[in-house]
Amino acid sequence: MYLLDRRKVVFLYVIVIQCIVLLAGCGFKDIDNRLFIIGIGVDPSEKEEGHYKVTLKLSIPVASIKQEKKPSYQYLVHEGENIEEAVRILETHTDKTLEFGHTKIIMVNEALLENNIKDVMDYFVRRGDMQLIAWVGVAKESAEEVLRAEPKAEEAVSTSITRFFDNTGTESPYIVSAFMFEFRRNTRSLGIDPVLPIVETNDDGSQLIVNKSLIVQEGRVPFELSSRLTREYNTLANDLGGYSYKIEFEGNNIVVNIGKTKVKYKIITENKKPTAINMKIEMTGEIIESDKDLSLNNLEKYNKLAEDEVKKHVLEFLTTVQKENLDPIGFGLKYRTMHINNKDTMKKWNEAYPELPIDLKVDVNLKSTGTIE
Amino acid sequence: MKEVVEKMNNSEDILTIPLQLGDNYAFVLYLKTVVDGLKLQNIIIKPFFELKSTEFFSSYIQSLPDIAKMKTGDELLIQLTKGHVLIAIQEQFFLVDIKMITASTPQPALMEPTIYGPQLALSEAIETNLNMIRHRYLEPSLTIETVQLKDKSHQSIALIYDKKIVKQSVLDKIQKKIKEMNNPLIESSGDLQLFLNSTKFSLFPVLLLTERPDRITYNLANGKVVILMDGSPQAIVAPVVFYDFMVSMEDNYHSFWISIFTLILRYVGILTCILLPAMYVAVTSYTPDIFRVELALSVAGSRLGVPYPSFIEVLFMLLFMEFLIEASIRLPKAISATATTVGGLILGTAATEAALTSNIMIIIVSAVAITSFVIPISEMSFAIRICRYVLLAFTTLFGTVGLMLGFLGIIMFLTNKESFGEPFLKINWKSTKREKEV
Repeated sequence: MYLLDRRKVVFLYVIVIQCIVLLAGCGFKDIDNRLFIIGIGVDPSEKEEGHYKVTLKLSIPVASIKQEKKPSYQYLVHEGENIEEAVRILETHTDKTLEFGHTKIIMVNEALLENNIKDVMDYFVRRGDMQLIAWVGVAKESAEEVLRAEPKAEEAVSTSITRFFDNTGTESPYIVSAFMFEFRRNTRSLGIDPVLPIVETNDDGSQLIVNKSLIVQEGRVPFELSSRLTREYNTLANDLGGYSYKIEFEGNNIVVNIGKTKVKYKIITENKKPTAINMKIEMTGEIIESDKDLSLNNLEKYNKLAEDEVKKHVLEFLTTVQKENLDPIGFGLKYRTMHINNKDTMKKWNEAYPELPIDLKVDVNLKSTGTIE
Repeated sequence: MKEVVEKMNNSEDILTIPLQLGDNYAFVLYLKTVVDGLKLQNIIIKPFFELKSTEFFSSYIQSLPDIAKMKTGDELLIQLTKGHVLIAIQEQFFLVDIKMITASTPQPALMEPTIYGPQLALSEAIETNLNMIRHRYLEPSLTIETVQLKDKSHQSIALIYDKKIVKQSVLDKIQKKIKEMNNPLIESSGDLQLFLNSTKFSLFPVLLLTERPDRITYNLANGKVVILMDGSPQAIVAPVVFYDFMVSMEDNYHSFWISIFTLILRYVGILTCILLPAMYVAVTSYTPDIFRVELALSVAGSRLGVPYPSFIEVLFMLLFMEFLIEASIRLPKAISATATTVGGLILGTAATEAALTSNIMIIIVSAVAITSFVIPISEMSFAIRICRYVLLAFTTLFGTVGLMLGFLGIIMFLTNKESFGEPFLKINWKSTKREKEV
């Protein structure tokens, strides 16, 4: 009797294990049977209104990285009614599984930002695999073209376009970077407007240039920030340094290089209404170029000059966006976090913001006049 | 006496020597193969002819330091096989221990070598070993209990503990286990350890085998019980926790940061050894997004042309590595060098060039092979080596989740385990040394 029971148990085990083995089959897919998509581009369709053209940039694995000089990519392009449809069709254009786990760049055509942001973003946000890793960039002419650019300096098995945005490669105050989730969060939350970098290529597609940005707001034409304004934005929003100001005084020019910045701001309220923005910027840096001999004793004077210069630039940026009724820094968000929320909070802010006076205090601390004595 | 000889089946090596000098006579009965002939000559035969009467001789015999208690029946026979000499003086019988001890020199430590610290390990003779331990642990509270095994080998085993600090419940449990044991043949302390363990299908050792006298005294000082078996150069330490297996005696001889560093190194090693092969399968076949994109592409590139799925690749390479390890343990030293060279060729570039495995796999297999030797006690290292196949199976079936659940399962299994009433994964945070007061 006992023996029989044991046999039954063993039989049961065998059945269970077999089931498990058969069930597990679907998730298992070897890495060499997958194709890594490193970038997705979305353009408006050229043929039909309201349709999208989706470009996928696939990185082809190479057997030996050492011997390979250029990266090899494959591009899949298809137009469809929505992004999902286009991607599904593109799955039939290749013999391997499309793997979105490494999709680090989503290029969106500027034309789609005015009315279609939610529509376009929805697909990417609902996919769990790239929501947290992908950066969003804007292409002025065509997202496909930007993706197709293959810079000369690019080595095999790497994607230069993402290196603009993460901090492993270049770091510059001219480059704005926005993650997918950040972009969506800022689009949907009140009191802040998302800023997206503009990615451009040169004519033959051998270079990528990122130094401008766009402030996006649902339902209106995106406002473009020039390189200089982008820099001011980065200073204020991300405390980024590493750029310079040219100052003219007493007939000569000096160039001040800013190393570190620290920005603090407060929103002053009176009678439950915002009345002013109080901003304080602390900067440290050094003089990097001058056409005349400078004395260390005069640093105080140069500090003062630099302060005036910085103030001028920052105010220019702030008034420009204020005039456009855009809020990339998130003053409104700050205001919301500091006040008890009721149905009037945002209304009051929106009314006051375009006219809000800005009280700016800049404190520049120059360390030296350069290393030449 | 004839009875005894008959009972021994008239074995060739049983000798009965009559001693006679005038009216005085005596008989000596012993097994030639186990008795030290020279010693017998010196302390028994010579004095017989020098002393005047049998009375003198019998009182001389009674005052010998090696005199043993007289036994009867089967026990007497066992004593004879162990090297005792039966002396009959007229109507009196005496039993004297004149054992011939071979292999009593301590061997250099092979299994647990250290750079500093004692270089000699235990010998194969229990007397020498007890002597070594007594020499190193000069506490009057050190207690040695000798027990005779009931199997065919009739080996004597010694239970050693410090009476002052030993945990009584553990001691009682061990004594009871030894008393209850009825196995036909126990040959070495490794054997004994398995029988003490009492579960039939066990993977992780719950008793520690060591050949180092300093580890023995270290454990004695921490209140553990040490079991020595005659004829076996390893001592059993009980009870043990997992962390005992990760401690090398070297840790006590280095400065604080160095021992901490080596300890961390060992734990990292053990994790690598268990997780790496399974992780390779999980990451390449289920979730390649864990890699950085560069690595993912180069792994994908190096797997180009590999015909079988990743888990077969891993299994293939791991098995080859195990063959290599097993072969180099079993082979005589002179040949084992050849085995490693040939194996190295297969595991090295040839397997990749034949597109049987990827380059990354070679790195993983070598890392796993090296790290599995980081664990100081080889039994634990064997157990860990088996564990990684379990994890590999789980991962192959259920992916990254399987890897995590499998690892959790192993930890739960270890948590559930106990060694003579002590939880196996016990950590003593309060004491400075991990093993204190276990």
